Amino acid sequence: MHIRAPKDFWSGLMFLAFAAVTLVTSSGYSMGRGGRMGPGYFPTLLGAVLVLLGLILVVRSLATEGEAIQRIEMRPLSILTLCVILFGVMIQPLGLVIALTVTTFIAAFAGPDVRLKEAALLSTGLTLIATIIFVFALRLPLPIWPNL
Amino acid sequence: MKFGSILRAVITAPALCLLAGAALAQQAYPSKPVRLVLPYSPGGIIDYVGRTMAQYLTGPLGQPVIAENRPGAGGITGTDTVARSAPDGYNLVLMDPAIVINPTLQPSMPYDLFKQLATVSIISTSPEVVVVSPELPVKTLADLIAYGKANPGKLNFASAGIGTTPHLAGELFKQRTGIDATHVPYKSIGQSYPDMMSNKVQFAFSSIAGALPFTTDNRVRPIATSGLTRSPVYPDAPTVDEAGLKGFEVDLWLGIFAPTGTPADVVEKLNGAIKVALKDPELIKAFAKVGVEPRGTSAKDGEAFLKAEFGKWKKVIEDGNIKDQ
Amino acid sequence: MMDVFANIGLGLSVAATFQNLAYCMLGTLLGTIVGVLPGIGPVTTVAMLLPISFTLEPTSALIMMAGIYYGAQYGGSTTAILINIPGEPSSVVTSLDGYQMARQGRAGPALGIAALGSFFAGCVATFVIAFGAPPLAKLALQFGPAEYFSLMLCGLVAAIVLARGSVIKAIAMVVLGLIFGLAGSDVNSGIRRFTFGFQGLADGIEFVALSMAIYGVSEVAINLEKKDEEVGVVSTVGSVWPSFADIRYCMPSILRGTALGSVLGVLPGGGALLAAFSAYTLEKKVAKHPRRFGEGDIRGVAAPESANNAGAQTSFIPMLTLGIPSNPTMALMIGALMVHGITPGPRVLIDRPDLFWGVVASMWIGNLMLVVLNLPMVGIWVRLLRMPYRMMFPAIVGFCCVGTYTINGNVTDIAVMAFFTIFGYLCLKLDCEPAPLILGFVLGPMMEENLRRALLISRGDPTIFVNAPISLTFLVAAALLLLIVAAPAIRARREEALAE
Repeated sequence: MHIRAPKDFWSGLMFLAFAAVTLVTSSGYSMGRGGRMGPGYFPTLLGAVLVLLGLILVVRSLATEGEAIQRIEMRPLSILTLCVILFGVMIQPLGLVIALTVTTFIAAFAGPDVRLKEAALLSTGLTLIATIIFVFALRLPLPIWPNL
Repeated sequence: MKFGSILRAVITAPALCLLAGAALAQQAYPSKPVRLVLPYSPGGIIDYVGRTMAQYLTGPLGQPVIAENRPGAGGITGTDTVARSAPDGYNLVLMDPAIVINPTLQPSMPYDLFKQLATVSIISTSPEVVVVSPELPVKTLADLIAYGKANPGKLNFASAGIGTTPHLAGELFKQRTGIDATHVPYKSIGQSYPDMMSNKVQFAFSSIAGALPFTTDNRVRPIATSGLTRSPVYPDAPTVDEAGLKGFEVDLWLGIFAPTGTPADVVEKLNGAIKVALKDPELIKAFAKVGVEPRGTSAKDGEAFLKAEFGKWKKVIEDGNIKDQ
Repeated sequence: MMDVFANIGLGLSVAATFQNLAYCMLGTLLGTIVGVLPGIGPVTTVAMLLPISFTLEPTSALIMMAGIYYGAQYGGSTTAILINIPGEPSSVVTSLDGYQMARQGRAGPALGIAALGSFFAGCVATFVIAFGAPPLAKLALQFGPAEYFSLMLCGLVAAIVLARGSVIKAIAMVVLGLIFGLAGSDVNSGIRRFTFGFQGLADGIEFVALSMAIYGVSEVAINLEKKDEEVGVVSTVGSVWPSFADIRYCMPSILRGTALGSVLGVLPGGGALLAAFSAYTLEKKVAKHPRRFGEGDIRGVAAPESANNAGAQTSFIPMLTLGIPSNPTMALMIGALMVHGITPGPRVLIDRPDLFWGVVASMWIGNLMLVVLNLPMVGIWVRLLRMPYRMMFPAIVGFCCVGTYTINGNVTDIAVMAFFTIFGYLCLKLDCEPAPLILGFVLGPMMEENLRRALLISRGDPTIFVNAPISLTFLVAAALLLLIVAAPAIRARREEALAE
């Protein structure tokens, strides 16, 4: 077995994985009968179609040539994902000012060249602008400071 | 580390402010703005009544009342935020009958209604209106029942979703009359009207606000209202009770609730302010525009009413096997 | 015919009073701002202004709210073009070619053509409302659950055409989008599906969280992997305005987009979105060199922008003439009118012609204001792009986070965003295009809802879909479209096989 089209192969596997989760989860929902289609019917149908499509992709990737996957760099993706998670963890207990400053400051490290002073300045400035716009101008119910 | 000390300063400074705030809270209630959570999206009845209520409560309470939409999960998300908040009288929630329907209908609830929330007052009452498709040869409620018995399996009724008052009212109607009708849920009752006009669905128990645009020029026919007395909006339509189903009553009431443990004097103060606000002629006029009438029970009567409503809908849900659908 | 002109005259006399002009201006300005800002959309804005509107004259209130609504449609395209973040579902399509144009230093012409196309569409749609409101309102009433299902199916097939690469992958992305769309409480049974126990998922996956993650954060991650010279930094900003050649080149696309948008906008639910998608699909089908689409073809901006603006405008028809809310913003407007004692419906035209025609006329004036407001802004926006990317991307990430959080004040949405950041990154690496996924995501729930409702009403008889003429037409159209998409792919495959 030789994978000739890695992009197709791996996307096929990704679709198969999602299809599996869908089918397993929706097996817990009623399929319904006759005119009354149950909550499980549509997702099961979609899951089955996705299995078919995933299989086509995988099989085809073994038969025909395709592009290789470009190099995956872990640094930008993992730092950015971490930023999003950190924001979610901080926003309610610590408030907008701390959460946003920390998030944007750390985000700067995802780039190839980090300039500490610039990043600090940028994150402070952004937080200031965001606080003015969202909290003071638009009056959205966002916590600004830590909620103790 | 320098950064650490700055961080500490940043965290402690507001904390000191908060402590100062806590000291202030010892003063007579209310000493700061009160939050009224509306657990539905803007645009519905709750939103309108809630914002109006907040506006007219501000005077008698002496502090601004701020309405805040916290929609999600059929009202559960917004109610839950208040159920979990401090019982200091500054966190209130306005809810409709879904508050007593959800615990029976949902397999799991994030809060316990009767343990975590206390009734401040049931502030308003509003009947539902029975509307039928104009293409249906039905002019009265008796006609509808007769038609349903003569044509089994032909009738559909619309609702605003599983477990909403229009749905359960329809189920109660089916249980009382023994007619067979298929429930067709929509996302909101307003969305069902085009299908009702073209007779794809035949009838519905609709909120008055939802029905008004379509009943004013007879694009759907109002044949009865669900209160025990006639609605001033549809004075010519009899109540379902008058039309023969004795004791049939469905009320789209709204109530204000606070976390359990809110001091009794604070609840009393709020209840008094609500009663004053509900007597304002301007508020009565504003409510009337959407078919809502002020009520204003005491906290104790409200709690008893809540328990009665809980039991009533629990029975309808269990008798109709609604959870198993 | 004379009546219409008399009515438009009446409308202009109402809309052109100083007070109403001011509210129209305020509405379009606010709309543009909230359209550009992530996280706060027209619904929130109209809701916040609702208490103020109670104190206004109903006509003024409606003029202002309408301005917010179509202004936001318009503002949403700015961020889609500049930083590839579509704030509204309907601007997802605009970002396909708009962002590519910006990368090539042609952000100015892209923004300019979006403004001009929208203005043109707005003018035409105003006349469509004036002449066609009553018959178009009847069309909307013809649509029952079966018709909606077939229309959505047709829309999904159109989504496959959107993709540049493999047809199979595009179909798989649509299906996956449909599955993501099903998360949350099921309308028909009340059961919560795919929430995995999270209370925050009870209402489904938030669109903003999904699109900000895929188009915002994942895109940043991909960009940061590239060498500095290829990234974001726009070397030549070029001309700020679209040239006359650009405009002439786009004119047929604008016309087609406007026509499609005007018709689809009338249908309650997702009209403007379907309009933008189908306009793009149509352009790709009629173009001589469809390969250019997705790589910065100006027609790929002109057509969907005209379509969604025309659609936004004509979506007022069912609201004003039938009292049916096509979307949450419209529902708010109905609420506001009822508070003023006006019940939207066919009687509005007879009882309050000043209100109806005043609002219609104000839309034309509002569109003019939008162009005047926005064309000078294009220069400022374009200058913003000169900012080095290392300063821009933390800002994008920060705004995505805040924007997503403010929608519901819900941390689950941020978790969803983190999940879709990784998912979006994988998709981009594997050449799976996100646009079909987004369309499937938005249309999926409506499609299932109408499918099940249609079968509920027909008592399980599937012939309901072919017995209704409108529904049948859409099904045939969907089948044809699928054939057209599949044909070149099949042909290519056969040639490939023969070559081997």
